Amino acid sequence: MKGYRKYYTKKIIWFLITLVAAVILNFILPRLMPNDPVNAMVGRVAQGVSDPDVIRQLYEEYQREFGLDRPVIEQFFIYIGNLLRGELGKSFTQRRPVADILATAIPWSVGLQLPAILTGWIIGNLLGALAAYIRKAFDKTLMPLMLFIGGIPAFGMAVILLSVFSLNLGWFPPSLGYDQSLIPAFNWNFIASIIRHYHLPFWSIVLISIGGQSLGMRSMSIYELNADYVKYSRYMGIKDGKIVRYVFRNAMLPQVTGLALSIGTMIGGALVAELIFSYPGLGSTLWRAISGGDYPLISAVTLIITLMVLVTVFLLDIIYGLIDPRVKASQYE
Amino acid sequence: MKSQLRSIVRSGKFMTGFVIFVSILLLTIIYPLINPGDPMARIGYDSFRTRPGTYVSLYDTLDGVNTFTFRIPGANDIRISNKLREDDRERIKYWLVEYGKQEEVAGLTEEEIDIEDTVALLGLWWEFYSDEVFVRNLTNAERNAFMRLDVRLDRLFDIDDLQVYTLNPETGEHDILFTEVSTDDYINVSDVANIIRLPLGTDNFGSDVLKKLVLATATSLWIGLVAGTVATLIGLTLGLLGGYVGGIVDDIIMFFTNLFTVIPGFVLLILISYGMSQMERGATTVAVVIGLTSWVWTTRSVRSQVMSLRNRDHVNLSKLSGHSMPKIIIKDILPYIASYVVMAFILQISSGILAEAGLSMLGLGPSTTSTATLGMMLDWSIMKSTAFIHGAWWAYYPVIVVILLISFSLNLMNTGMDQVFNPQLRD
Amino acid sequence: MGKVMLEVKGLTTKYITRFKEDVYAVNDVSFKVEEGRSVGIAGESGCGKSTLALSLMGYYFAPLHYIKGEIIIDGRNISGMKPDDIRKNILGTEIAYIPQAAMNALNPTRKIIKFIEDVVRAHDPKATKKDIYDLARQRFEILNLPEEALGKYAVELSGGMKQRTVIAVSTILSPKILIADEPSSALDVTSQKMVIKMIHDLMELGYIKSMIFITHELPLLYNVTDDIMVMYAAQLVESGTADQMIFDPLHPYSKGLMGSILVPEDGTRDVKLVAIPGTPPNLKKPPDGCRFAERCKYATANCRLSQVAFYDFENNRKCRCLFTENELREAYKNEQS
Repeated sequence: MKGYRKYYTKKIIWFLITLVAAVILNFILPRLMPNDPVNAMVGRVAQGVSDPDVIRQLYEEYQREFGLDRPVIEQFFIYIGNLLRGELGKSFTQRRPVADILATAIPWSVGLQLPAILTGWIIGNLLGALAAYIRKAFDKTLMPLMLFIGGIPAFGMAVILLSVFSLNLGWFPPSLGYDQSLIPAFNWNFIASIIRHYHLPFWSIVLISIGGQSLGMRSMSIYELNADYVKYSRYMGIKDGKIVRYVFRNAMLPQVTGLALSIGTMIGGALVAELIFSYPGLGSTLWRAISGGDYPLISAVTLIITLMVLVTVFLLDIIYGLIDPRVKASQYE
Repeated sequence: MKSQLRSIVRSGKFMTGFVIFVSILLLTIIYPLINPGDPMARIGYDSFRTRPGTYVSLYDTLDGVNTFTFRIPGANDIRISNKLREDDRERIKYWLVEYGKQEEVAGLTEEEIDIEDTVALLGLWWEFYSDEVFVRNLTNAERNAFMRLDVRLDRLFDIDDLQVYTLNPETGEHDILFTEVSTDDYINVSDVANIIRLPLGTDNFGSDVLKKLVLATATSLWIGLVAGTVATLIGLTLGLLGGYVGGIVDDIIMFFTNLFTVIPGFVLLILISYGMSQMERGATTVAVVIGLTSWVWTTRSVRSQVMSLRNRDHVNLSKLSGHSMPKIIIKDILPYIASYVVMAFILQISSGILAEAGLSMLGLGPSTTSTATLGMMLDWSIMKSTAFIHGAWWAYYPVIVVILLISFSLNLMNTGMDQVFNPQLRD
Repeated sequence: MGKVMLEVKGLTTKYITRFKEDVYAVNDVSFKVEEGRSVGIAGESGCGKSTLALSLMGYYFAPLHYIKGEIIIDGRNISGMKPDDIRKNILGTEIAYIPQAAMNALNPTRKIIKFIEDVVRAHDPKATKKDIYDLARQRFEILNLPEEALGKYAVELSGGMKQRTVIAVSTILSPKILIADEPSSALDVTSQKMVIKMIHDLMELGYIKSMIFITHELPLLYNVTDDIMVMYAAQLVESGTADQMIFDPLHPYSKGLMGSILVPEDGTRDVKLVAIPGTPPNLKKPPDGCRFAERCKYATANCRLSQVAFYDFENNRKCRCLFTENELREAYKNEQS
């Protein structure tokens, strides 16, 4: 048990460190930049206003509102205090609390991305393992295909699926999360509409994750297939079917870490894919915030995305520690 | 080293990727030479009104161009079917089917009418339609519409020779410019003074999409190159320092590397880009920022390579011979990790180009009116205008294809090299 | 004369390299192993001794391919058997193998007892968990392994423990022949001695009937095996008892191999350390004549003409050399003086 405790203590401490670092970065980065948020907002609000007095007045007003006239350290503590109270400020384009906006957007994003990334991960691993085991023609066609699909950015896949299956074939609606003429309610009509709108964003994320994961799994499986234990197990008379299961398990476990390492990029890509479909998740929220120069909202979305990534990585690390005995052993070294 | 280079060149994957990549690169250099002009110029109307195709000045075709006579059987049929619009065909069919239901005429059922066959369709129409025939299921408005349609259809066949006049300003009368323009008259396109070839139509600004695409490809490649160079240089330096020096230096470097492995780079990218005003966000600046947020992987792989090299015999020998650290790094370490660095660099180029595209679609891309990037083209056509609604596939599809080709070719090169350096992965 | 446990007749196998080249790593190898005896096979690395070890199992998969020859285990010819019959009825039960890299021979993510269950059930699907556990515990005791190790993963065991675990797994079904391919090369001297002693104990207890020991360290063989065979370029070049082979090698290659190794035993300590000049022939294109001719200082034009047979010498010895025993002794004597 000593190995496990050490592993988990390490992971928890690391999670806390990254959390603090992420919050600090989220606070400090925009303030370090030449164009501070207030400037950006004033620039947007004061478009067409030529009177410098009015602009200066606006600037000072916003500075007070966001507390930017105070020393940075004080601002930081106010920021942390607000965060702890769940107080994320008020969106000035949508005129409602940022927390409310996030509360409506997060379920859409999580509901879309979590199943999609998991599905892509599982199918990708199966295909990669098959390619490594069968090789030959299967591998020869699958590899270049996966290399191609894996290289497609999420937004590219979204555009392709959208134009083929929605604009040309008309099978699925091109945008939004549900039919706007329906009132959100827990009835069959509404759920069916959600499912219809879910398909294209879902499959575009699934497909690109398959591409990326299958290549990693293939290399990993080939590596495992050449491992000494495979040869030894064979010469001890163990059936190939069983050995393939050994290999699949051993190759798949590190893929959990692989997923943890690539989850940030995947979520980032998926957010832009959401954007293409005007899916009502964080991607579209972020886009609206950026185009409206809505600093409180941008800052909250980036923070929440970072948090989601950090939590996912942490959970994956914990799961990995539970299922792969190699982790425990490595803690003794 | 030489033999490795040879096997890289022999690797089918690498060469395919290399050829695609170099072709794209050469196109961005050659195309502007053979088709000069400002790619950003607004030559057409806004909002995707010009589809891909070759546009011929109508005026110039009439004014002093030699005509040639060709007698092509069926030319009129083609003319008519070209003029008969898709919705007219549908309406003809609609009437015929309704009529067929009422009078029980054989051959007038939904399945038997082929709207693509112009001759047969019009044949049926003239056989059965008359404004005296009363079809029950139609509304009055529809009946009137069909009468108008019939008149229009009759006019379709008034294919007579035309006469073209020009206004004489002195007399105020119309002079005959051509006595006759026959349906058998043709002109040679190369005789026409003004022709615009728009293989990919125009975009929402009315700019030539192909020209802009070539410029955008060049800019995006530049962004990828700059981002890749910045990321690789940072990654190489940190990796070498951490791996070779070790100790506290390594601990600090690894702390930040691990930190930025989990904190997503695109979030940092958004925060930094947002903090720059539009004026400051040039293509190169954006590229540098992308590079600054994507050095983690290179650092990791360089560091682990260097650590395994650090205690090899030839390095120890150099240390014992009193060679300086820079000399050892350059002579005894860099050659061994060169392949990994090049592979990482190739991937960085591709991910840099993709990062710019994603950033641009979020509205934080390079802000400039003098150049275009692949991401900005997508942003303008998809996010900031309505290419989807207009069915203007030419404004975004070619961009996606170029992005795919670049990223596919770079991935192929990378995989090809990977298979050379890790023989286990070979086919 | 004991009962013949293993008889190999003209075994030839090849493996195919990554570059699709054929390498005949085992070429026309014939020998016998009697019950209760241990045979050592020695040779430089790359001579084909590890491939021979695998070829003897009678179970071939890429990149190793069977060409010809017979393998007879305890009177049963396994050469014509179907691969799945061999897998089920021969591997592990008749003939078993301890791989070179015992450190990595165990699946890192499978508990030892689970792996033993897999091995036993591959041959006897009806074996109960309890029987297997009892069997494994008993073998672990002999090999001086703690019972708790059964419930652990390979990654949690030390190097020496992994080595012994592999021995326990390989011999769990009491095979008639145990082939050990340098089972100790990764261990320190004391652990090596222990491993060898344990395998001997297993033989004395009757869990294995005979064994083949493959190594490039001749002194190890002298301590361990009754007979020694020397392999060169995919062929056996000399065989005899351990005493004959170490103190009186006849084939010029065995002689050279002995000379190139410092034997830390009395009487041989002063033998000069002489490396054999030259390199072994390329097995992708072996020479027509004696394969050692290029490196042999006694070679004549005759040696290069055609393949040399594995001649019977006095005292049950065999030697692949055109010279007679007397001619060879004469030559060595002349050289010393």
